Amino acid sequence: MTNDPIPPERPPQIPNPMAQHTRPVVTGPDPDFKAMEHKGFSNILNSLLKKPLSVVYELNQSPSRILGVLCLVSLVCLGVFGFVLGLFSAGDQLWAAPVKVIGGVFFSGLICLPSLYIFGALGGMDAKFPSVAGLMLTFLAITSLLLVGFAPVVWLFSTSSNSLVFFGFLSLAIWMVCLLFGLRVISRASRSMGGGHGGHLAIWAIIFATVTLQMTTSLRPIIGKSDKFLNLEEKRFFLGYWFEVIEDENTSPGRNTPDEENDRGSDD
Amino acid sequence: MIHSPTLSSIPSLCRGDKTLLQGWLADNPRQSLLFCIPAIILGCGAYGFTMGLWQGWEMASYVGIKLPLVIFAVLLVNGMINGMLAMALGSGIGFRESVQFLLAGFGLMAIILGSLSPITFMMALHAPSPDDPGAQQWHSVTLLTHTFMIAYAGIISHRSLLGHVKTFATTPAHGTRTFFAWLTGNLFVGAQISWIMRPFFGSPGLKVQFLRDDPMNGSFYETVLHALGNLTGF
Repeated sequence: MTNDPIPPERPPQIPNPMAQHTRPVVTGPDPDFKAMEHKGFSNILNSLLKKPLSVVYELNQSPSRILGVLCLVSLVCLGVFGFVLGLFSAGDQLWAAPVKVIGGVFFSGLICLPSLYIFGALGGMDAKFPSVAGLMLTFLAITSLLLVGFAPVVWLFSTSSNSLVFFGFLSLAIWMVCLLFGLRVISRASRSMGGGHGGHLAIWAIIFATVTLQMTTSLRPIIGKSDKFLNLEEKRFFLGYWFEVIEDENTSPGRNTPDEENDRGSDD
Repeated sequence: MIHSPTLSSIPSLCRGDKTLLQGWLADNPRQSLLFCIPAIILGCGAYGFTMGLWQGWEMASYVGIKLPLVIFAVLLVNGMINGMLAMALGSGIGFRESVQFLLAGFGLMAIILGSLSPITFMMALHAPSPDDPGAQQWHSVTLLTHTFMIAYAGIISHRSLLGHVKTFATTPAHGTRTFFAWLTGNLFVGAQISWIMRPFFGSPGLKVQFLRDDPMNGSFYETVLHALGNLTGF
């Protein structure tokens, strides 16, 4: 023990550059992963957009209450979106396109459900198969609901566009945007259920998106015209089929002549 | 503080007065409609009138009607998805608020354009007749001038709107994300609706019409892609 009043100088601190960039890792469930306050139809729709994790939570607790509503929302919304897509060609496509869109999306969901369960588990998600099925249904319902939001935009182009390629890519871009919102919910829900590690769900998301893109070719035509409802004999990969459609449109004699386009281009 | 839908709201909106918009959003949504809808009709109508005036009174009247219609059509077509995106992006902004925000943004843009309309009016009165040899050159000048003015009004009004959305949203980051989602959608749809409702300036040599004979035939983006294809040879 010393009586020296001056404390010894502390050695200079070496700044740790990593310390400035590391944030405390937040673990545990998402704050939205809790019971819904009200369970009416409009409240479920509202929650799907604002607090989708509360719908997932509710499905885990008492699935029978919400399951029917989610199925109905998905069916109606996909039907409306399909109908608007069908307006591009009109005629038989007005009923064929909604049937194909509903069938294609639900079939994609069905064949990707086992892989969602496995990939979720690989990432650490602690959920039973019915809970994962409920999560898939919530994902489809949110995606479908957003697609209906885009329906007026799609209608605007379906009634004015002459280009199958342009309209096709616009529809796919809108599908992808809506899909991203849905996939975000799967990712958040997975983290709330203890998963989300290792990027397995990102791989599953790529697989699901690819499956739906292939569906557009397997169920062709969805926006174009055809004598047959389905063309299952001729098996094609979606990228090859798309390039063929682009090629066809570029060489099609029915296309607007450059003079007509130039006249339009100078019209302001 | 309650604001009446009168001329006194104009400077407040231009200054980006947050209490004005908060009052509209929270206390009296009807007032925002009573202010913004007439502002869009009058401001854009007056400016549109001067856009078409160099082609004569008929074209001026058509554009005076069409310019506000473009704005309302964009809000109508995008209304549902704007509201849904605001909710899905976690901004805490609902359907009604999203419409009110966008109406306020377009209202400010209309006020700016309306204030510029006396200048463009005089510009149109000094324009050569569409049949004169200098008409093509004047058409280029007027096209550039109006593009610049509309772009300026659009940028200023949206910058103000961004500030409001950031303040109102749950966090500024959510507000920014929502704002850019709205902006992307409105620009994308707005270009197509403007294309459907053409002509606005009226190219020399083409008929003066309210809408072209086949307004829904083709899209803005197909025309741009075709023009690019012609330029690049692809």
